Amino acid sequence: MIPIVVDTFAEAFPMTAARAILTADTPAWAETAARTMSGYATSVIACDAEAALERILDPAETPDGRPGCSVLVFAFSRDALEKSLTNRVGQCVMTCPTSACYNGLPVAEKSIVVGGRLRYFGDGWQISKWIGERRYWRIPVMDGEFLCEEAFGTVKGVAGGNLIVMGNDPSRTLAATESAVQAIRARCRDVILPFPGGIARSGSKVGSKYRALRASTNTAFAPMLRGVVTTDLPAEATCAYEIVIDGLTMEAVERATAVGVQTAAGQPGVLGVTAGNYGGNLGPFHIRLLDVLDRYGEPV
Amino acid sequence: MALLLRRTDESDLPIEVIGVRPDRLRGMPPAEIGRFPIRHGNRTVPLAEVFQIKGDPSDERIDFEGNLRNVHRIGAQMSAGRIVVDGCTGWHLAAQMSGGTIEVSGDAGDWVGAEMTNGHVSICGSVGDLVGASYPGSRRGMTNGTILVGGSAGAEIGRSMRRGTIAIGGACGDHAGLGMIAGTILVFGSCGRYPGAEMRRGTIGLFGGGPVPLLPTFRRAGRFRPQFLALIERELRRTGFAGVDWPSGKLDLYHGDLLSLGKGEIWTREGGGLA
Repeated sequence: MIPIVVDTFAEAFPMTAARAILTADTPAWAETAARTMSGYATSVIACDAEAALERILDPAETPDGRPGCSVLVFAFSRDALEKSLTNRVGQCVMTCPTSACYNGLPVAEKSIVVGGRLRYFGDGWQISKWIGERRYWRIPVMDGEFLCEEAFGTVKGVAGGNLIVMGNDPSRTLAATESAVQAIRARCRDVILPFPGGIARSGSKVGSKYRALRASTNTAFAPMLRGVVTTDLPAEATCAYEIVIDGLTMEAVERATAVGVQTAAGQPGVLGVTAGNYGGNLGPFHIRLLDVLDRYGEPV
Repeated sequence: MALLLRRTDESDLPIEVIGVRPDRLRGMPPAEIGRFPIRHGNRTVPLAEVFQIKGDPSDERIDFEGNLRNVHRIGAQMSAGRIVVDGCTGWHLAAQMSGGTIEVSGDAGDWVGAEMTNGHVSICGSVGDLVGASYPGSRRGMTNGTILVGGSAGAEIGRSMRRGTIAIGGACGDHAGLGMIAGTILVFGSCGRYPGAEMRRGTIGLFGGGPVPLLPTFRRAGRFRPQFLALIERELRRTGFAGVDWPSGKLDLYHGDLLSLGKGEIWTREGGGLA
């Protein structure tokens, strides 16, 4: 059976984004810092931000010439982003042995202060250094000093891009979704997939029968509810997995969507690929799957 | 096309070219530039009496050529543009400069970049005393900007500097960073006596190797590999400061001057030891 790419759209919304460049003496510690910093940051439904490792950096790509990682962090406002990033860098990066933290986006008017807040941890022994046009804070810690850039640039990014892979065999559907995640991570810049391993198995819809909840399980894609609620699953489908994509630009999210859809659709056991939307009520950005395949998909 | 000023006279009297800078002459007609008043000894003379003038400064660039050793205050109080000096200059080069770039292929006299507030100065040769320093009676020396010297420097470089970077490719004289408030001084040759005397904050890197004649009011903290130095190295290499031996291993750290605030730091090559 040829998998069907459903003619529908993913519904995305604007979020403020920053990029942190984390370095350490070894690649392992740099990655540890990045993964710790992006913990508990899958969805703004209940987290203060959405964050994930963007990619591993060669020493030649980092400001201090050490192994590094880049992490993208998204939040609903600059204030929320500043608070989240400061807390995460302070508790998860500064605490990580040999680490340093730098801004990975151009600093303009719409920047946030991170190192300039963490400096007070130095208890008066922090040292400021202006290097070029950028200011850094050197905070004394137990293995030397933690170097953190004062200000981080922000951009208005796009969050909530998504695709849903549907299949009739859970293990093969999961493998297909994993392939899509790997392809996006290997080929796409400026995006993150914030859920565990890049995949969400508990996709959500807006609202709930319980007034206190902003979101609840996406019943249209829950196969065990077939027959009692309206379903968007094909008749033979027994499972679905969702990939959520946050990006610095709309184009980055669209490219990643195209790569993900095309990769997943080519895997065995996949019955269809669709996207989550909420009738246009959630966000202003509509990413039509067939359109992005036309624009960014590779010829088969 | 740049404005070319070629020294034509052979007088040994001091010449002060205050105001001969790109941001001031931009848009000025050639005849008016020729009449621009400069000081020659105890007289005020038109610029054309001392310099042959060619081109125009519309692109905010002035080139100086000829015997400039007794031509003082080149680029002083400059706020934008570029000055290129082919040869050696006199005193007060880039003094109180607030922006733009100055490049000198030879040496420069005392007071290079004194009290400058921003901008970039690059000198291939050696310089005199008081680079980036405060003038007598002033509380602060340079407060921002970069001064790069390929050769050696005299005494009291960075006196009372508040911010900015001074890098000396060769040796420096006594009292580097005297009364330094903050900022960065890097010296890649030998260093004179008592660097950092009365420094409050700031960083002095003495990377020439060999014994360092520190005051007894500095305390050793240990050996470390400072991350910020990699950033400074990358930035200075980007701006053309090359040909020096950057330290790659651990460095010795000393804190001081404990007779002052004591939050300054002096980094020396591992194994340099105190003089």
